[in-house]
Amino acid sequence: MKDTACKDYHMTRRRMLQASSAAMLGLPINSLVHGALGASSAKAEHVILFWNGGGMSHIDTWDPKPGRPTAGPFEPIKTSADGIQISSIFPTVAKQMHHAALIRSIAGTNGDHGRASYELQTSYGQSPALLHPSLGSMIVSEREPLGDLPAFITISGQARSAGYLGQRCEAYFVGRPGEKDPYLAFPAGISEIRGNRRLEVLAKMNNRMSKNMGGRELKATETAINEAVNLMRSPSLKAFELKNDDPDLARYGDTDFGRGALLAKRLVENGVRFVQVNRGGFDNHSNITEAMENHGEVMDPALGSLIEDLAASGRLDKTMVIMLSEFGRTPRVNDNAGRDHHARCFSAFMAGGGIKGGQVIGASDEDGMFPEERPVKPFDIHASVVNALGIDHNKELTTPSNRPIRLVREGASVVTELFG
Amino acid sequence: MQNRLILAALLFVVTPCMTAVAKPNFAVEVQPILERSCIRCHGAGKDNGDLRMHTKTDFFKGGVNGAPVIPGEPEKSYLIELVSLPAESGDRMPSKGAPLTAEEVAILVDWVKSGAEFPESVELVDRQPKKQISAAEMARLNKLLDLGDRPTVNEIAAKLDELIDLENQGGNLPLATEINDLAFLRKVYVDLIGRIPRMDEIREYIQMPTGERRVKVVDKLLEDDRFADRWTVFFADMLRIRSNREGGNQFLAYVRRSVSEGKPYDQMVREIISSNGRSSKSPEVGYVLAEEADPMTLAAATTQVFLGVRLACAQCHDHPFDRWSQRHFYEFAGFFGKTTQVENNFTSLKYTTETDKMAILWPPEGKAENSERKPVEPKFPFEFVSYKSKPSYLTRFEKRRAVREEEKDAGPDIDSLLDGVDTLGFVSSNKDSSFDVISDVRKDKSKLDIEGDLYRTSELRRDLAARVTDPRNPYFARAFVNRLWFELVGRGFFEPLDNYSAGLDIKHEKTMEFLSREFVASGFDLRDTIRAIVHTKAYRRGHLEPGLDTATREAAEASFLASPTRRMLSEVLFDSIVVAGHLNEYKWPKGANVKTVTRTERVRIDDEGEMAPATGEPQMAMNGAPTSMMAADRGQAARAGYNLEAGIEIDFDAVLNKGDVAEELAMMKAQSDMQVEQQRMMAAMREQNRRPAKYTYREITETIDDNPKFGSTMRLQTPANPADFQRVFGQPGRDELGDFRDHSPSMRQALMMLNGRATHEASRVGSLEPLYPLLADPKPDFAKAMQRLYLETLTRLPNKNEVSEGLALLKSAPTPLEGMADLRWVLLNCHEFKYLP
Repeated sequence: MKDTACKDYHMTRRRMLQASSAAMLGLPINSLVHGALGASSAKAEHVILFWNGGGMSHIDTWDPKPGRPTAGPFEPIKTSADGIQISSIFPTVAKQMHHAALIRSIAGTNGDHGRASYELQTSYGQSPALLHPSLGSMIVSEREPLGDLPAFITISGQARSAGYLGQRCEAYFVGRPGEKDPYLAFPAGISEIRGNRRLEVLAKMNNRMSKNMGGRELKATETAINEAVNLMRSPSLKAFELKNDDPDLARYGDTDFGRGALLAKRLVENGVRFVQVNRGGFDNHSNITEAMENHGEVMDPALGSLIEDLAASGRLDKTMVIMLSEFGRTPRVNDNAGRDHHARCFSAFMAGGGIKGGQVIGASDEDGMFPEERPVKPFDIHASVVNALGIDHNKELTTPSNRPIRLVREGASVVTELFG
Repeated sequence: MQNRLILAALLFVVTPCMTAVAKPNFAVEVQPILERSCIRCHGAGKDNGDLRMHTKTDFFKGGVNGAPVIPGEPEKSYLIELVSLPAESGDRMPSKGAPLTAEEVAILVDWVKSGAEFPESVELVDRQPKKQISAAEMARLNKLLDLGDRPTVNEIAAKLDELIDLENQGGNLPLATEINDLAFLRKVYVDLIGRIPRMDEIREYIQMPTGERRVKVVDKLLEDDRFADRWTVFFADMLRIRSNREGGNQFLAYVRRSVSEGKPYDQMVREIISSNGRSSKSPEVGYVLAEEADPMTLAAATTQVFLGVRLACAQCHDHPFDRWSQRHFYEFAGFFGKTTQVENNFTSLKYTTETDKMAILWPPEGKAENSERKPVEPKFPFEFVSYKSKPSYLTRFEKRRAVREEEKDAGPDIDSLLDGVDTLGFVSSNKDSSFDVISDVRKDKSKLDIEGDLYRTSELRRDLAARVTDPRNPYFARAFVNRLWFELVGRGFFEPLDNYSAGLDIKHEKTMEFLSREFVASGFDLRDTIRAIVHTKAYRRGHLEPGLDTATREAAEASFLASPTRRMLSEVLFDSIVVAGHLNEYKWPKGANVKTVTRTERVRIDDEGEMAPATGEPQMAMNGAPTSMMAADRGQAARAGYNLEAGIEIDFDAVLNKGDVAEELAMMKAQSDMQVEQQRMMAAMREQNRRPAKYTYREITETIDDNPKFGSTMRLQTPANPADFQRVFGQPGRDELGDFRDHSPSMRQALMMLNGRATHEASRVGSLEPLYPLLADPKPDFAKAMQRLYLETLTRLPNKNEVSEGLALLKSAPTPLEGMADLRWVLLNCHEFKYLP
């Protein structure tokens, strides 16, 4: 039986009950209602989300279990952060760990790819009654755009839809990182001069028509056209293109992921609020060792170089980098030398945008089976991210059908330790 | 003083535990109380005691006695005081109607105590339950709405306009002028068959006698083959048909065939609600299969889609604004409670059948011990109209139905269809059952498939279907005509379209009631009802001038005095671009557009030093389509990165054919967003699981003949992929209930129109199209070319200003052909092309 999201109505009172009790205990009610970060401590302006679809093994990446029968073949290695060890597939990232925080105690509930990735991207459970926006859509609906590039860009795959937030919060899709989107230039055979002349005549004609027809829709259409033309003419557009001999490509790796990470960095430098870089291949039910070795070779140079570059340029303070997956993988290695779905405990990597580096939040038990300390709900992550951008995760919005709904799912709380 | 004492006593009673005051949810708990009991006299309409309570500002501004509420202090809030008074005090509020219950008072007290949060954005409306209509009033209404035995279309349309005028009386809203004949032509083509008219069709229309052409053209379009395509899109939105769901394409094909054959709406819905089986045999079962036969989801969908009531809100809590309780919802869900979906592991096809076990238990999970939860008794909570003497529309319905029965040849109706199903065959599906369906299926699969005795009839759902579609059930016809009116006129009688409740203040209730009755009387005939609507003045209204303030404009549009700004549906827009640009036929001779295209491909160097393409073409790899709407040059278009405008075409007839083809097609499902994502990820995994390697780049040069030809987007798998034209222009994903079309403009839409392949190719003047000789001739006829262009794109002639502007463009271009392409591009992109007259 499926849930409908109407359940939220029920929970509202319960949470408010907690808030009221807190008030009784002398806590300022705002600390609960507005989240733990005051507007002044919100530092982040941009987010780069690496979405690793398929359920990335936490044990073989951020939460190694040396000496346990479940450990797998990867030795933990020391990192630039005292006392923090990560898997040997991440030698470059290890040098940047003093900038990053790990959460090792995410307690998920969904072991199904569809439902879990819905929850990890939107904070809500899947429901036939309402389509919830993804993290990127939430943020661009609440924060004004910077510059003339689209505020939310998804690379190498679609982000979840903007749901009830509508078209204006949809992600701009880049299929192949580094290659120019054909829709961003006049069609082949139409010169700049000719294209611009067309636009001129069009503007004149539309202007005349809106004098006869009126209505907000026409104005909005003109705004959309102007935005499109601005984007087509924007010098920032070159941020989308990576030259094949770009020197940075050698460091990031000339892979879709490396290109995606490099593109994400350039887009953020050009004012893009939220970049989501999608990558699959983590559903390793078999031969996980080889798969993770290869994943490491692809991800490590890109993620490591990205953190290094952002830190060097000073942008890391304002740019939050997150690596997330819908769940982790079983501590037990199965008969096919793979690991299966494991939602009850997994990890996330987060750096920048006000996050205090060099720390681990929460801990799993000795085998990585369950959270042992400080369990974190999946949607606490969304609350933490939006708060880092100065957005109240409890903000009540109204859907087009006039239903009240919270930006982030009921009951989420900011993982305050992240921000030191 | 005495009042205060009562209040103090009351506070003590209702909040015995002061340490944990709950904060009520405004929208769910507080708002309904205020709307039911306060807003009629203290709202937008009235301000008794100078007090309005419908917005936050008004509420806290207060009236002659100051603000009704002091946040945090219920004892000092006169609102609490007044609603708590005993009836005999004479000052109790509400002064009319039922007093608040103790529970309601307690909620208000909690609300005030917790700070009286009142959201800025909310505007409360009066939802005081209406008084029962008296018999005399009902008789008057019946008389007003009665058009006698056999009203003509004109009489029905005139009555609609008369009622609209009646219900607009006293208002002071501006009225838009009527659109002219050509604008009407464009509008009905777009609304009825989903594209703008071609030149030959415009000519044919102009040649008809002035007084008759509107009627004639509507009659013609209602019989056009594309009428079924266009209105299948309407039903696909409404029924949330998804090609990627089990039986999705068959369901779509079933609906298209039903529309094409003129199957009455009630009959179609009866079939949809009651059917069991598999899609290749009973395509209408796609409705149940799409929801995996989940009773709760189906109950929610059935009430919301067919009855226009959001009973689903009562799944978790009693309906905030209506009388529906959680129990009503559970009992309704009971009709679906014995249906189950079975997956046949052998053929991997899914089908539905009926079990003996009722899956819906009451009370809900968690509300009682499991041992106390009992199977619900399915109940239909919606009341039928009652009458002493039968209203004429019901008599007309019966007559019409009788005639239809007589006229009908062999085609079996739903009852005979269902009766034909052998219910005596073995039945299993229950997971607990020890009966091994699969092995028996293996034994004699073909026999079973032919006889269909696996699929047990759902008596419960047959019963439900009969009640839902009963001509006396006012919800059924009302919900549909409201959608239909919205689709054609641009505004509904009530909105959201699927959220009727008894307390709604509907301005044009009589108009709505009349249209509902006429829909019933027509025998639930889609075409007849559309015909009546498009012949109303309301449909023919133009737009109001832009100077008006938004509130006045919107009020006039909601009163059907002017047409709202309405954009073509995404499918219609694309198909109209195709027709305007002659892309529905080859407009170039073979070989006229041969060109050499060079692109760079990234190639990985394998361990062996071999080179292989690094990534397949993502769009094509994903689609793996049997056919594409682009008949020619599919591969090239894809590789040029323009394929976002393509899709997978469905062969509707093949989908419904019973036989091996159907079987295969049933297996061949569309690619859902999620599946596409999975495939992409799998492809990515294949690559990414290999060791990262060195890449090199190589240039690929090839020769293509770029001569595109497009079919109709209305025959594609649906919904399209999220990045495709249809979706970007508002086609809903249809995964949620109440997912209506989003017509808001976006930058992505603008980019697709400005730089997309469709508009680009449509703009170019092909040497086989009629414009060409007018321009390429040694003695070109620019004026005539311009007239043709305007008629072909905007269904009107250019005015003087436009002619001179166009001529300037033609003359400044290197060649007239290029200038004409520029002008056509401008017209395709302009407001007037996308937005209806």
